[in-house]
Amino acid sequence: MPRVNGPLIVQSDKTLLLEVDHERADDCRRAIAPFAELERAPEHIHTYRVTPLGLWNARAAGHDAEQVVDALVEYSRYPVPHALLVDIAETMDRYGRLTLSKHPAHGLVLTTTDRPVLEEILRSKRIIPLVGARIDPDTVVVHPSERGQIKQTLLKLGWPAEDLAGYVDGEAHPIELAEDGWALRPYQKQAVENFWHGGSGVVVLPCGAGKTLVGAGSMAQAKSTTLILVTNTVSARQWKHELVKRTSLTEDEIGEYSGTRKEIRPVTIATYQVLTTRRKGVYPHLELFDSRDWGLIVYDEVHLLPAPVFKFTADLQARRRLGLTATLVREDGRESDVFSLIGPKRFDAPWKEIEAQGYIAPADCVEVRVNLTDSERLAYATAETEEKYRFCATTATKRKVTEAIVKRFAGQQILVIGQYIDQLDELGEHLNAPVIKGETSNAQREKLFDAFREGEISVLVVSKVANFSIDLPEATVAIQVSGTFGSRQEEAQRLGRVLRPKADGHQAHFYSVVARDTIDQDFAAHRQRFLAEQGYAYRIMDADEILAES
Amino acid sequence: MSNPATPPRSLAEALRARDDASLAVLLRARPDLITPVPTDLTQLATRAGTRASVLRALERLDRFALQAAEALAVAGDPAPYRELLGLMAGDAGDQVVAAALPRALGALRDQALVWGDDDRLRLVRTAREVLAPSPQYPSPTGLGPTVREATSGMSPGRIQEIVAAAGLPSTHDSVSAVDALGKLFGHRKKMAKLLAAAPAESREVLGRLVWGPPYGQVTPEPAAHLRWLLDRGLLLPTAPGTVVLPREVALHLREGRAHREPEPAPPAVEPTATHRPQVVDATAAGQAYTALATVEELLKDWDEGGPAVLRAGGLSVRDLKRTAVALDVPEPIAAFWVELAYAAGLLASDGEADERYAATPAYDEWLDRPPAERWALLAEAWLTATRTSGLVGGRDAKDRALSALGPGLDRSAAPEVRHRVLTLLAALPEGTAPAAESVLARLRWERPLRGPQQRDDDLRGRLARWTLTEAELLGVTGRGALSAHGRALLGAPAAEKAPAQPGGPGDKLPVHHHPHPVPVLEPLSPPEQATATANAGRLLAPLLPEPLDHVLLQADLTAVAPGPLRRPLADALGVLADVESKGGATVYRFTPASVRRALDAGRTAADLHAFLTTHSRTPVPQPLAYLVDDVARKHGHLRVGAASAYVRCDDDTVLGEIMADKRAAALRLRRLAPTVLATQADPGTLLEGLRAMGYAPAAESAEGDVLITRAHAHRTPPRTAPEPVPDGPPAPDSTLLSAAIRAIRAGDLAATAPRKPAGAPVSGGELPRTTPAETLATMQAAVLTGDTLWIGYVNAEGTASQRVIAPIRVEGGFVTAYDHTADEVRTYPLHRVTGVAELAEE
Repeated sequence: MPRVNGPLIVQSDKTLLLEVDHERADDCRRAIAPFAELERAPEHIHTYRVTPLGLWNARAAGHDAEQVVDALVEYSRYPVPHALLVDIAETMDRYGRLTLSKHPAHGLVLTTTDRPVLEEILRSKRIIPLVGARIDPDTVVVHPSERGQIKQTLLKLGWPAEDLAGYVDGEAHPIELAEDGWALRPYQKQAVENFWHGGSGVVVLPCGAGKTLVGAGSMAQAKSTTLILVTNTVSARQWKHELVKRTSLTEDEIGEYSGTRKEIRPVTIATYQVLTTRRKGVYPHLELFDSRDWGLIVYDEVHLLPAPVFKFTADLQARRRLGLTATLVREDGRESDVFSLIGPKRFDAPWKEIEAQGYIAPADCVEVRVNLTDSERLAYATAETEEKYRFCATTATKRKVTEAIVKRFAGQQILVIGQYIDQLDELGEHLNAPVIKGETSNAQREKLFDAFREGEISVLVVSKVANFSIDLPEATVAIQVSGTFGSRQEEAQRLGRVLRPKADGHQAHFYSVVARDTIDQDFAAHRQRFLAEQGYAYRIMDADEILAES
Repeated sequence: MSNPATPPRSLAEALRARDDASLAVLLRARPDLITPVPTDLTQLATRAGTRASVLRALERLDRFALQAAEALAVAGDPAPYRELLGLMAGDAGDQVVAAALPRALGALRDQALVWGDDDRLRLVRTAREVLAPSPQYPSPTGLGPTVREATSGMSPGRIQEIVAAAGLPSTHDSVSAVDALGKLFGHRKKMAKLLAAAPAESREVLGRLVWGPPYGQVTPEPAAHLRWLLDRGLLLPTAPGTVVLPREVALHLREGRAHREPEPAPPAVEPTATHRPQVVDATAAGQAYTALATVEELLKDWDEGGPAVLRAGGLSVRDLKRTAVALDVPEPIAAFWVELAYAAGLLASDGEADERYAATPAYDEWLDRPPAERWALLAEAWLTATRTSGLVGGRDAKDRALSALGPGLDRSAAPEVRHRVLTLLAALPEGTAPAAESVLARLRWERPLRGPQQRDDDLRGRLARWTLTEAELLGVTGRGALSAHGRALLGAPAAEKAPAQPGGPGDKLPVHHHPHPVPVLEPLSPPEQATATANAGRLLAPLLPEPLDHVLLQADLTAVAPGPLRRPLADALGVLADVESKGGATVYRFTPASVRRALDAGRTAADLHAFLTTHSRTPVPQPLAYLVDDVARKHGHLRVGAASAYVRCDDDTVLGEIMADKRAAALRLRRLAPTVLATQADPGTLLEGLRAMGYAPAAESAEGDVLITRAHAHRTPPRTAPEPVPDGPPAPDSTLLSAAIRAIRAGDLAATAPRKPAGAPVSGGELPRTTPAETLATMQAAVLTGDTLWIGYVNAEGTASQRVIAPIRVEGGFVTAYDHTADEVRTYPLHRVTGVAELAEE
């Protein structure tokens, strides 16, 4: 019977379970990837979720309901409930009933292929202020400034509009990729192509898969002035460094717009922080968006995009927008804003595939459980709630374990990551390693990073400032001693530190040192689950085993 | 027809002429005629003509047969077949209608609604009354009264005027004048000529009335174009200000047709999609499995105390909501599952004082059966149940909310509609899903509603809609098409390539018998249904997924069961892990809490490791094994128990002594720690016991302070002082005294006044005799006044006696009374009371 052969199981909560070891698993993965989001990817069964956003993403990418239904029916091991298929068809059918386009005489217009839908949405209080005159029964004028607003609102009403209104070219500026001795990887090329073809949208690539290069490739495609929004200054420098190295752009063509410097050049890299700074209730740096006729706007780490930036982005709908991220999951649940304001998902490469191609290093994740000493346990039990985490996260035993791990991997590039400065300082002292923390100047940071890259120093202790977008290609071991309360993004970022491809094909190691029977362990459980769901095998060890080895 | 030479003169005669088979057809169609069995055919005919029975029969006609009956109701009585054909097919002679008419007429004859041969067709009188047009109930044909009926109260002079205006030769006989007018209206050519001369506005008025309703309003001074029509009798007055279009005129304008749209053929059930039969069966089987799982989940959820039964019966809205959330389905669907389990006898009220719903013992038996049989039981219960969950949440005629499992959900039409809908599905080629609307249209044709009822609101339509949804939920259909096991459930042949030709001996009809174009599958008798159900179960069995005995364990602490699990495994896993997602597969998640639950349930860590290793296809991930050990390590670390008193002493040798002392045995002491003993005895007993043993214990407060016991005086709660009790009543004042005396005198006067003995004077030994009317009146009066009566009574053996009774109640020919003679309350039939007399006052 064919039905017992499928690798896919459709669940009633609209999750799809894919059996990875099945012979048809790869075909199936390719078939469902356009419309289902990979939620968990542990070793045997991967979980995908079908959401309206995912289905609309698929529609935006040119897939229709029939393909989706066919994929489910084709690969499903058990019969797919009829109601689910009907629901999918109905949901997908909602996309594209409304389109935003340019009218030669009236400018931006909203057109419908289904008149009752237009009637329905025009009755909504939230839509009325955004639209102008009704040109004909199927068309209504939209105020050009409300292009983003109306897309956001329509999505909330459940009738996502397809934006075909096109883009302004922006001020031209020559940019070429300088592919000397390197080339865009095939999937990166594909990502650039998909993005450019779609106009605007989000490219989803795992940490370490070279998202910066996708940005550079898109810029070379656009050949126009570009505004790049990144999370922090170090990341901005990283981008600049990478762009100078990989493209025809020179140092002088690239400006940094941050707390310290306010340069506006043909390619400008700005931090989210400076953009969202408020003085007396206004955002003084908003003029940046209007300071040049930008042809492309790149959003790095879209999943961290702060809420005000969405608001500014709503006014930038006529410009091409590229979002780069490792995950579409936002802890604040604003995925729908990403969809309506930056654009649908244009490219998504399964982590496993990229790993299989050898572009990311396989990692060995270990959780080491340490016991608190009796006096620490008492202190922990009596500590105030807000102090508890600090008490358990900074237990003295962690230091010993960390030293033991560092000793074990002596000679390799090791990062020690933590949250508490005292703890880091102490570790730095014992490990005889430099410490990078918030107060370390940017110049000093880059100096230390360079030294680490060159192998002059092999152990580096960093605080959470190092979490985002720094590039430490040669780190093969990361030891996490404390962290923010179980954030999934943080875990992804930290893992990203060690997942960069290694020159010698070394296996990467990721150690978390956790205090047993405390909230540290609870947080760790949350993060571990994320790791396991990302497909990283992980083990739990007792501190005694580590200490005994050394 | 036994003897065509002598046409029957009554329905009874017509019935008498029918053969047994044909009578059987009648009785099968109208079972109400044989409950109770009539004594002879005359009685049968009488019963067949009663209003209730005729209405019932009319309600069960298909649309075309009903249209034919309606046409006969406006035709002559008797009417020849030719006339009926004219009314149905029109002047143009619609071939399709003409071809279908004999079948419809045959059906009417079968049902004894029409009798007589083709030359003299007679509609049963009651049916005629029901269907014929009247001002109160306009006919569905939209036709008005005939000229004769409409002119019945008209003055001969006015009739003469009309006849003259219509251009007919005048005659002084009103009757023949009216006949002539009727004939003129019925004559197509002459009538055309007459109307050709009509003003355009007049023709417009006729056009508005032609398809009904035929009544119109006119002012006392009608406009010229109305005048023109009234003058010629083309409109006839019925009441002041109201006119009617006579039937003959309307028929002329309609070219002879009684119905605007005769519907000779049932509307076809339109297919929407066709799937491969395998896909349909597999989908249905998948859904069937889900149905089993859902019912199981529902009852498991109610295992430890289901929801309470409302006082009026049924499930409260809140409980239904909770159930819906637990099952992760919308409320109407939850109501369906609950009702299904109820209909299948798997759940019921426990009947305790605090009434709750719970699974029945039948549920446990059900659980032990193979899945296919379990499904078959549910499916049969659904198919034959009169309870309809679709009504839940609505309101009944008295505006009371209808609750799931509550009263008022039975609809006798439900099983028949379900069966019919599925039969229609069975008539489609395999794998074809019908459009719901076309199914409804078909049902409306087969069983049209008489009267202007809302189309969406009719019960059968709603039942049919629910049937389609429920069949899908239950897995009788898959992707909208009837599955093979669904077909078997109906008792239909496995795959119908062509509609079967019904043709048993019972189908012999007197005339115009044509095979029925719609394959009608009759609902099965219980034993037949049992066989069909078993067949359906057998067909379903191989399609249901085979329960698995393994799961896949993953490092993210989940276990995925890639299919249904064997029951013991599923149960064990349900304790050890939480269910995270359901469907074709089940995803379980291990958490410290779930592992602890398993340990609480008596499993050990070693057990759990062995369990996981045995049932996992993949190696047990290290984090999972670690989790089990980690939880087991802490499990039972803290111990909790109850004690009502304790002994503590810093010197543990003293406690050792106490424990060793035999006298301490009664105190049931237990050593919790070197310096602490606990006991179930209360602190007072413990203190005394220890003192008796020669120790000097001190009591401790909850805070650990030594309690000083001091003799303290006992006090009551606040009390008021007693009121003084005087010796004898207080001296009355003069007002009270005078009032009392007046009352006493009045009473005395009443008692001593001379009194006439009531009733006939009675001497000892003789029974009182009164007429039954008198008896009844006296009894009723005695109930009101509370008087005692003397009665004569003859018991069932004929023995007469006299009794003295105080009647309490007189009703239904019985008197209930306190019988002074017997000294108890008794009930006597009034007809055995010979007479009654009031007792002479002592």
